[in-house]
Parts: sequence; C-alpha cells; structure tokens
Amino acid sequence: MSVSSGRTRGERGSSRGATRRTAVVVVPLLLSALTLTACGSGGDDAGSSADGKIEGDISFQTWNLRANYKDYFEGLAKDFEKQNPGVHVKWLDQPAENYADKLSADAAGGTLPDVVNVSPDLSYPLAKAGVIMSLDKEPAAAKFKGDYTPEAWKGNELPGLEGSYAFPWYLNTGPLFYNKTLFQKAGLDPAKPPKTYDELFADANTIAVKSGGKTATLAGTPSIEDFGRYGVPLMNADATKFTYNDAKGTELLTKYLELFKNGGLDSQALTSGPDAVGQKFLQQKVAMNPGSAHDLGTFKQNAPDLYKNLGITDAPNNTGHPNMYVMGMAVNSKSKHKAAAIAFAHFITDKQNQESFAHKVAIFPSTAGSLDQPYWTQDDGTDEGRIRVASARLLKGAVNYTPVVMTDEMKTILKNEVAKALQGKKSPQQALDDAVSQSDKLLKQS
Amino acid sequence: MSARTHRAASPWLFLLPGLVIIAAFSLYPFISTVGTAFTDARTLTPGHWVGLRNFQDMLDDEQFWTGLRNSTLYVLLVVPCTVLLPLLLALLVQKQVPGIAFFRSSFYTPVVASVVVVALIWVWMLDDRGLVNGILGYFGTGPVEFLSDQWLLLFSAMALTVWKGLGYYMIIYLAALANVPKELHEAAAVDGAGAVRRFISITVPAVRSTMVLVGALSSVAAFKVFTEVYLMAGPTGGPAGEDTTIVMLVQRVGTGLSGRTGYASALSVVIFVVTLVLMLLVLRADRKDGE
Amino acid sequence: MGGRMPRWQLVLRYVLLLAVLAVTIGPFLWQLSTSLKGPTEDMYSYPPKLLPEHPTLDNYSGVADIIPVWEYALNSLKVAAASVVTNCVGSALAGYALARLRFRGRKLATTAFVMALLVPFESIFIAQFTTMRDLQLNNTLIAVVLPGCIGAMNVLLMRNAFSHLPYEIEEAAVIDGANVWQRFVRIALPSVKGTLAVVAIFSFMGAWDDFLWPLIVLSDPDKYTLTVGLNFLHGTFANNPRLVAAGTIIAVAPLIVMFACLQRYFFRGVGEGAVKG
Repeated sequence: MSVSSGRTRGERGSSRGATRRTAVVVVPLLLSALTLTACGSGGDDAGSSADGKIEGDISFQTWNLRANYKDYFEGLAKDFEKQNPGVHVKWLDQPAENYADKLSADAAGGTLPDVVNVSPDLSYPLAKAGVIMSLDKEPAAAKFKGDYTPEAWKGNELPGLEGSYAFPWYLNTGPLFYNKTLFQKAGLDPAKPPKTYDELFADANTIAVKSGGKTATLAGTPSIEDFGRYGVPLMNADATKFTYNDAKGTELLTKYLELFKNGGLDSQALTSGPDAVGQKFLQQKVAMNPGSAHDLGTFKQNAPDLYKNLGITDAPNNTGHPNMYVMGMAVNSKSKHKAAAIAFAHFITDKQNQESFAHKVAIFPSTAGSLDQPYWTQDDGTDEGRIRVASARLLKGAVNYTPVVMTDEMKTILKNEVAKALQGKKSPQQALDDAVSQSDKLLKQS
Repeated sequence: MSARTHRAASPWLFLLPGLVIIAAFSLYPFISTVGTAFTDARTLTPGHWVGLRNFQDMLDDEQFWTGLRNSTLYVLLVVPCTVLLPLLLALLVQKQVPGIAFFRSSFYTPVVASVVVVALIWVWMLDDRGLVNGILGYFGTGPVEFLSDQWLLLFSAMALTVWKGLGYYMIIYLAALANVPKELHEAAAVDGAGAVRRFISITVPAVRSTMVLVGALSSVAAFKVFTEVYLMAGPTGGPAGEDTTIVMLVQRVGTGLSGRTGYASALSVVIFVVTLVLMLLVLRADRKDGE
Repeated sequence: MGGRMPRWQLVLRYVLLLAVLAVTIGPFLWQLSTSLKGPTEDMYSYPPKLLPEHPTLDNYSGVADIIPVWEYALNSLKVAAASVVTNCVGSALAGYALARLRFRGRKLATTAFVMALLVPFESIFIAQFTTMRDLQLNNTLIAVVLPGCIGAMNVLLMRNAFSHLPYEIEEAAVIDGANVWQRFVRIALPSVKGTLAVVAIFSFMGAWDDFLWPLIVLSDPDKYTLTVGLNFLHGTFANNPRLVAAGTIIAVAPLIVMFACLQRYFFRGVGEGAVKG
C-alpha cells in the first residue's frame, strides 16, 4: 500500500464490501418513500420533537462491532435505559460487508435506525437526501458541540450543507510499520527508518537494488490520502473540482513510477486491494506498510515471526498534518423519538463512554481534553503504549484528507489512471489530468 | 365442474404459484428498472427524465467497452468448457464402482463452498510465491505473473468459474444420463463401437437437450460474471481496470449511497438484452441441429 | 453391470477419479488445516505449512463464542428447508404444465420464466425490499425465502425433465379416466425424482449460501442466517484467519453432508423412474 495511515473500517468495508455481489440500487418504486425524505431534515412530520421528553423505543446501529464488543454495547444500552426510564434501546450491528448497501435500502425504504454509525463519506449522501439530521440546526443536539474537539466536530461537517451531521465518535491514525530484517538485509540501519518522503523513496530504491528487485518496499499504488499527505491540493475551496493533477501531484506519481520500474513497488500493486496489501506485509514480501495501533494484535497473533522484527515509525507527510479517520453517530431525521435518539447518540459519544471504549480497543476518543490524559500522553514501555502515545500526539494536528464528495467510483478512476501511468501507457501528467476530468464530470452530475 | 372448464383452467392453476412469484419479485421490479434507465436517478435521489442520455454515455464510456469485451470473451471461452467437461465427469462417476458416492460428493464440494473462500485459496495458489509458481519453479520456469497480467488474470478467473461449475452441471447431466437406456450402450458395445464413438453417437444425442440447457444457462451466467473476476482481479478490475466485466461496471457505478442508479439501470437493460439474445441463439442452434 | 469392466479400465477410472478429487477438494483441505491451526502458529510463513503443528478445535468454539452459531444455523435451516419445499412443489407444478399440457399462452408463460432468469439481481433488490416493507414482511424469515421460493431456473429444469417422458404412459392413464392432477401425481412426478432431487439440492444450497438479500431484509441480529452471521468474523479491529476458516467449514459441512445423503436417493430415484418398457 502506499503511504496512508492504516486500514480502517471504511476502507475494509469498501474492499470487502463488494466481495460478494454488491448491488445496484435502483429506486423507482421507492419514489414515494423518497418524497417523504425529500421534505428536508428537521421537518416535524416524524411526530416527535427534538427537545421533547426523552422516552420511547429507539434502535441504534453500529458497524461490525458485535464480534468483540457485544457485552460492552449491550451494557451501554442498559446503562442508558437505567438513566432514562421510559426509554428502550435496541442495539443492531451490521457485518463488515455491504454496509453501504444496507444503509441504502434502509434509507430508501424509510427503515433507517434512529441512531446510525457513519463515517463522513457515508453521512454525506444521507445528509443530502435529508435522511439524517443537521445537529447544528437542532438546539437539543447543538448544545453538546463543546464536548468534542473542534477538529472532530468540523470533521463531520459536509461541504455545501449546513452544520455537522454526526456526533464525533472515535478517531484513528497510524504509524508506518517496517520489517527490520528486510532493512538489515539491504544494508540499511534498522534503527533509522525513513522520516521523509525523500528518505522513503531512497530506502525503497536501496532495498530493491540490493535484493535484485525481489523485495519491494511498498505494496500499493498511491491513494487520495497519499496525494493529500504529500502536499497536493486535492480539491478547490468549495469542493466542486478536483485539483490533484498539479505539479506536486505529478511529482508524486513520477516517483512511484520510478519505484515501480526498479521493483521498489510490488509487481502486483496495480491489482492489490487494501487486504492484499496488508497480507504482503504479513508474508514479509514487502518491507513497509502503514497501519494502526490495533494491527499489533494481528501481527502478534498471525505472524509472530514478523512481530519479532517489527519496526514502527511515523508515516511521513509534507504538510505537517497526518491523516486521520473519523467515525460518527448520526441521528435519523425521521426518528419517532428524536429526543431520546439525540440523547443516546450523545451518551454513546460522551467523554466517559468514548474513553472507556478507547481503553478496550486501540482507537482514539474525539471528546475535548481526552487525549491530554496520561493514558494517551505517557509511554508505558510497551509497543502498544508507544504507538498509542505517538498516534495521540499526531492526532492533534490530523486531518481527514479524503474528500467526502469523492465517491468510490471516483476512487476507482484514480486507481486505474494511476495504473495506466505506472504501466507506461500514459505520462503521469496525462493520467492525472484524465482522472480529474472524469471525476469532475461525475461531480457535476450529482 | 365440466371436463372442458377443467382442462382450460388447470394449466393456469399449475402455473399460478410460479408466475405470481416471478412476476412480483423479478419481472415487475425489472420493469421499473427499465423506467429508471431513462433517468438520472441516484441511490437516494429520484431522477429526472433524460431520454437516451445514459445509453449515449455508454458509447463514450471506455470501461463499458472493456466490460463488454471481457464478458463476451468469458462466454466464448467458458461455455464450451462448462458444456463438455461436466458431461465427461458425469460419465466418469456414473458407473457404480466402490467408493463412487464419496467421489461424487467430493466433486460437488466446490459448488457448495462460498466463492469468496474459493477465490482466496486460488489467489494464494496463483501468487508469484504460491503453490503453482512453486511447482513451475521446480521445473525451472520463472514465476508466471498470474495476478498482475491482465490476460492471465482473466484466464485464471475463467478457470475458477469452470472449476466451480463442474459439480453443478455434473449433477444436471447425471440426472439426464440416467434416462439413457443402457440397452443402447450395450448393443453398441456388442457391435464393437469404441468409447469415443459410443460417446458421439449415443450419449451426445441422448443428452442433447440437456447440453443445450446447460449451454443456455452457462452462457447467461458467464456473461453476467462478477464475483470470480471481482475477487481475483480486485474491485477496480485488474491493472488499470482492464479486467472489468459488465456486471462489475454495474456494481461500480450503481452501488453505494451515491450510486448512479440511472446509468446502472441502463447498463442492466443492456445486460438483459444481450443475455436474451444469447439465450435465443443457443435455443435456435438447438432447433437447427434437431432438424 | 459393474463386474464386466476390464481391470485396466477400472484402474484408469480410479486414476482419473483421484486426479479430479485432488483438484476439487484440495483447497478445502487447506481451509480445514487452517481452521485447526493453533494460536501460536505463523499464518503467513513462506513456504506455507500444509499441516497444523499444534492442531486444536479451539477455533470452532471460538466461532461459537463470537456468534450464536446454533441459532443462526437453525434460522438457515428453516429458510433452506422452506425453500426446498416451495421450489420442489412450485417448479414441479409449473414445469409439468409447461412441458405436458397444451393450452393457449404456453409459449408466453415459458417466456416469462426465461425472462425472469435473465433479470440481474443487482438491479432489483431495493425494489424487492420495498415490496417486503409494504407487505410488512421485512425483518422476517418469510421475506428471506419469498423471492427465491420458486426459482425460474428450477422451473425450466423441471420442464426439461418432464418433456423427456414418453407420451404413451400418460395416454394410457387418460384412457383409464385419470384427470390431470392424478396423472401429475401418480405418473409424471415419480418419473422425475432425479431432477426433483437436483432441484432440492440447488434450492437448499441457494438459500443456505445467500448473503446479500438476507442482509438487506433482516435487521434484527437474532434472525440472521448463518452466512450473514459468519460475516461478523471479519473483525473490525482484528482479523483471525483461523476463525474465518473455521466459520467456512461450519457453513460448508452441512451442505456436503446433505449432498452425500441425498445423492443416494437421487440415484435410486432416477433408477426407479426409468420407464418400464
């Protein structure tokens, strides 16, 4: 994989996402349902007001957390019921694959749960269709704004729409993992991993040359976050046009082209998805891979040999801002029990609950002040602790580079045009120009 | 009830449950898909009438032509294999020899296993450091880049499709072969006809209508191929999207919360028409042979 | 009949059988082996280890700890069993009418089933979902079964089977005064047992393996079928290939067992069905 921080649920969702037949959503029969949703958010046709009494049966949906955190979430629901007699909370959890399709069907059919776990790229189309509520417009929700870090709240704002559409939930970012054995074999000092892009490309070159082109350093082609971190402006200010085909973007792609030619980029990079990229690192075929703190467990459990020689360093960036992933809890704008739904969405993302969840799994709370606590500032000497502290520090200036208006289709266009440049079918400039013009065309249609 | 009304009504009574189900859950929804094909609808937004624009866009869409090419190749190369190989396999397991039940069941396992798992195993085997390249390396041939060359990827996916379909079509053939009177074979054997001649002059004519059925079903399935290519070549359709099939394109443009439903519907209509033509061609060929 | 085969032919036959066997079940043995590997084994070593060093059944109980395997399997079983019954009955009825009865509109009816076969599922599932919601069946197992309860392909398979029966046997029954229904039940149906078994296997398998539709139509995790439930094993924060492999074996094993059991009846059925000359 290119230098991006970590596989998150979003990425894995979309890669696995369609591992089975994902589907096309064809909607005409639903127009009746849609005219309802088109009435706009905040309408009171839902039969309840947001600042009413906190009561009623609500449902909330998470994404693939049942396997390991069932007791935790059922416990949360019980706690909330105890604090708010008269409320009954039903927890739903969706499996990894086809989450977007499930949301599509529910949104189109009017059966969306009251509180839904979303990332900004999922909340954007839902918000545009008026299915989830703008929290800033709803005083009952807006009053909690100060509980979260300003970056996290902003991270859930959507271009062209007013306000933030989800209570910030957990954040993630990650280091760059490297394989010390492979570094050593190439005569590089395993204690001195690359810190900048120049060093990264130089080391990759050395590893490729020393191994006779057998050992690659990276396993994936550059994604949009990579362009972002390299300092390429991705879009214009009002998010109506892509701009990653500038000189800086071409420079990054040219570097990748050189890398691909000398074997520093895995020969299967053009076809590998995020899962395959991760596996190459586990199989010790490539020397570096971006990841996140919870990958440590995977390494320990599934690739103990690799774990013994695992090096950890910060992923380079030219902007001073690392990349981060953002998760949120959105509220259904047609909820029958809005007051309860808002209260619950806030409850699950409040300081206490975010911190307790972040103690269970290696993710990071988005509530104000949380990351200043010793758990996230003091290294306890373990690998986990080291990564946790380093990541928490990085998160303070982190941005979510991936533009929310960039659909999966536009990401595929970028990936395929990049591949054409690497294959030598097009110049890097031409490839990026083509990707931008195709994506702009799609953007205009939406 | 008089005999006449009985005769007139009963065929429809026999058909009623089946017709109701397919009308409600396949045909009716598809008619609305056809309507959507002329709009610019997206997953969560109803569209406006745009006439033939989606179909015009297709003509300029490079990926559409790539998809059409790959899906067509799939039909041309996969269907002959799925018509013939399972028949040979059925002949192999037809004879009652000790342990045959075990073999039959084992040959059926690829069919029942989830294609996701199967594809993962295949990718692992075809990897440049995988089992197959290990064996090739043993014979001194350099690693073959099954997973990064656009054509090798497509052929590997085809092999997977054939492999996974073997057991499936095998049991359709087994059911048909059971209807071939044994006396025919025995008489031919007495006449001194060899195995090949008996296959061509007795078996093939006897199961011809089943071969046609298998041909029709597998060409429709081959044209609509998705999962195997998707899993082996990746969601973006192989290097630079060169392995994209037409259904993969439908999935790419139409899924997700901001899918272009209108365009995807137009593609679905094209798929429907092409498969219909394929089906008619196969059935037509059958009629000609029969005369 | 088996005794007459020359020895070399028998040997050749077994060689071929074993060759195909290696190709067809090799990958599953790999999966089985992965599912038995202990927690300390490297899953990604090169060259890969074919046999587990520390074989254990813990991964299977691990799967059961994460998801209620038995409940999900029971849901799958209900769905699959219902699908077998409706498909066998529905497609035998329709197939018989299309193959054996003469009436106006027969061609049209056949065309309708062929068309249904061609409709790409991807383009209609949301419409199916709203229909279920309108019928107030969403989030029920009935909704999982309903769209596939009489498959167009099964109807065409049955039609193909019925059309092979010689007309003479039914004509005799007509002269004896048997009505359509009696002819269908007493004469035609017993002659196509083999194909009925094929339909049973296909519909069981289809219902058991289906993923996207049950996922879309069910929202309550208690009602999930096994394939949907097993997807929880692809963890968000940790991926354990051993558990995934164990899950796969759990999902596949019942199908193989069922096929192994049914195929005996399947062959006996076809044997009995042969027209007595």
